[in-house]
Amino acid sequence: MIELQDVRKCFGSQTAVDRLNLNVKPGEVFGFIGPNGAGKTTTIRMIAGVLMPTEGRIHICGWDMAEDPIEAKRRIGFIPDRPYLYEKLTATELLQFIADIYGVDAATGRRRAGELLERFRLSTRATDRIEAFSHGMKQRLVMCAALLHDPDVIVVDEPMVGLDPQGIRMVRDLFRSLAEDGKTVFLSTHTLQLAEDICHRIGIIHRGRLLAIGTLNELERTAGVSEADLERVFFQLTESQ
Amino acid sequence: MVILKLLSPRWLGMVPKSGDIRSRMRAIALFLLGIGFIVGCHWITIRVLRHFQQAQDIGNLLAYKLLSILMITCFSLLLFSSVLSALTKLFLSRDLELVHSLPVLSESVFQARWFESAFDASWMVVVFTVPVLVAYGRVFQAGMAFYGLMIIDMIGLCAVAAALTVLLVLVGVLAIPASRLHSLVLLLGIAAFVGLYVAFRLSRPERLADPETFSSVLVYVEHLRGADAPYLPSSWCTEGLKAALGNRLAPALIETGKLWSFAGFLMGLGRIVAGKLYFIGYSRSRAAAVSAVQVSGGALNGLYDLFPKPSVLRGLFVKEWRCFFRDPSQWSQLILIVALVVVYMYNYTALPLNKVPVRTEYLQNLLAFLNMALAGFVLTALCGRFAYPTVSGEGRAFWIVRSAPCSIRRWLWMKFWMMLIPFWVLGLVLVVSCNIKLAAGTWMMGISVFTMTMVTPAILGLGLGLGAAFADFNIENANQAVTGYGGMVFMIGSAGLIGLVLVIEAGPVHRYLVSEIYRHRHLTMWNWIGLGLSLTTVAGMCIGTLIGAMRYGERRLVHSG
Repeated sequence: MIELQDVRKCFGSQTAVDRLNLNVKPGEVFGFIGPNGAGKTTTIRMIAGVLMPTEGRIHICGWDMAEDPIEAKRRIGFIPDRPYLYEKLTATELLQFIADIYGVDAATGRRRAGELLERFRLSTRATDRIEAFSHGMKQRLVMCAALLHDPDVIVVDEPMVGLDPQGIRMVRDLFRSLAEDGKTVFLSTHTLQLAEDICHRIGIIHRGRLLAIGTLNELERTAGVSEADLERVFFQLTESQ
Repeated sequence: MVILKLLSPRWLGMVPKSGDIRSRMRAIALFLLGIGFIVGCHWITIRVLRHFQQAQDIGNLLAYKLLSILMITCFSLLLFSSVLSALTKLFLSRDLELVHSLPVLSESVFQARWFESAFDASWMVVVFTVPVLVAYGRVFQAGMAFYGLMIIDMIGLCAVAAALTVLLVLVGVLAIPASRLHSLVLLLGIAAFVGLYVAFRLSRPERLADPETFSSVLVYVEHLRGADAPYLPSSWCTEGLKAALGNRLAPALIETGKLWSFAGFLMGLGRIVAGKLYFIGYSRSRAAAVSAVQVSGGALNGLYDLFPKPSVLRGLFVKEWRCFFRDPSQWSQLILIVALVVVYMYNYTALPLNKVPVRTEYLQNLLAFLNMALAGFVLTALCGRFAYPTVSGEGRAFWIVRSAPCSIRRWLWMKFWMMLIPFWVLGLVLVVSCNIKLAAGTWMMGISVFTMTMVTPAILGLGLGLGAAFADFNIENANQAVTGYGGMVFMIGSAGLIGLVLVIEAGPVHRYLVSEIYRHRHLTMWNWIGLGLSLTTVAGMCIGTLIGAMRYGERRLVHSG
């Protein structure tokens, strides 16, 4: 579903992501963790097609992001860390716009928009302008927009920022159920507990390089610690660099 | 000290960073352009004042009246821009939450923001007024005291305007939320400007230069002798400068004293009021900014059904339409366009063609030809206002477009096609209506329609393309995007294109007009070939500009990610 081959991203003389190779399968929740400035958001933005890699290839469901960006993007639902939206539109109008852009037919778009707004507890504010929404509400609306076209791949940057406890639980359940339906979820997070709870595999990135990848047990072996939680594994791996 | 520290991010941000050659080059280019404008203002004022002085009895009166008008205009502009600037800096800026979270008194925040707002609202007015006043000093051979007082008075006038408006704003935001007040002031300002502009033009001031209406000139002279409103700060400034121009230092100092004592009083009062009201107003503006607005689609929903479903074009068009008409700072500018077009057409109705000693038929067609340049400049201004900022206007929500299954090229061209029809229709209205007013021939009408059909997409493409190439998604007000380096490149590029088009067409058009008016000079085959070649060149140049600019914008936008 998601395949990264020797992906590299440089900003001037600075290398943000260095020779990254990854393969995330259908039905998998993949967590991407690392300290601030490690290259998580840069990687996520490249996978979502928002940023061009300096080198390397990214394939989404077999589509090359550089050669067939439209087909690749059609299969992605992207949830950025900061929910910047068209503030003058209402929630319903934004979802209508997204439906048009992603080619969702009107009836399906309306039905799914209604379901998602209901699911994310926004149906009572559906006709309010987005400028009147709180940060958490905007974040939930971004999630609605990302899921509206029923994407095969969901790419999420820091999903829990700005969400209340109820929202966090909802998102946790959502990612699990998406994976059960065969979707691929790629998420970056600082919330190690979340990664430990819902991710099938975890990648640890530091200074642009992938330090380790695998299940929690595999990471424990790589870090040389036993019966440890993800936090200990994380510090063991990143602080030894 | 705290105030200086609060202001430091602004100054530090303006300092060019080492190795940033591009921003240095931009700064130098903008500086040179500014110098050009300033020198131009100075030179034109000297010409005008010397021309006035040739009129023996009323020369100085006219010069002083112009000074008075200049000061009133400056003061009005200062008041208007100070209101907007104060609202933005004190209540709406994105960084206010950070600033208010700092361990400093809200009075200090207010004072730092007041300085910043006063500077932002005033610097441009001062920069363009000082060369005009220096021209007065040179023409009237004033002493050094005039130049010193000129600076002191200008700063005093800016201080009065900034202090007065901040008082109004502090009280105003308690009644109306800051964001709504900002829109309201903008709307009222535009309406007032349009009203004055149209009223001034319809009063036909050109009649004062007509000897046949000399009696009205005498009435005008009597009016010139009348005093200005004595309680206006701009009048104190005018009287002070007039006295300084005549080397009467004592009255000049008295007027300057009035101005500065009033400024001091207002600033003191402002400080007291701000101590009581600023933080209350700020807190209220935060709460009001997220007030829920229930929206029903209304007439806009009808538009939605006009497009095939589902389509990217429908999504984009409806989104653009909704965002535009829900933002008063956007749609209110349409009033300006209407006023501009009305006055534009009226100018041609008021032309005294029968009084010019050149064969009228030739002159009518010549004016129709030159009118294409004017129409082109109007389109350039409108593209600068609407097309250039449209990409930056996506703001931080641009990630939606970037991550959507729609290429940047397609998205940019869709924006182009959405804007083309209104701009093309407007361009045609400007040339066709004026050609009809001028009674220009059918041939000239054809040339005008052809040229506008070619030039309009080129100017629009240039605006959109360069707007995309120099897009700034973090800018607080996208309308200001055109005031940057990219905007300057667009304006110069567009003016250059219009000039080139007219130069290319001028020869063949002149030969055709001469052959039509002086019937014995028939066009040769070479003349026809020359005409065909010039029109083909114009078409090629315009299409090349359009495609080149759009590709450049697309490339820069794609690689900026």
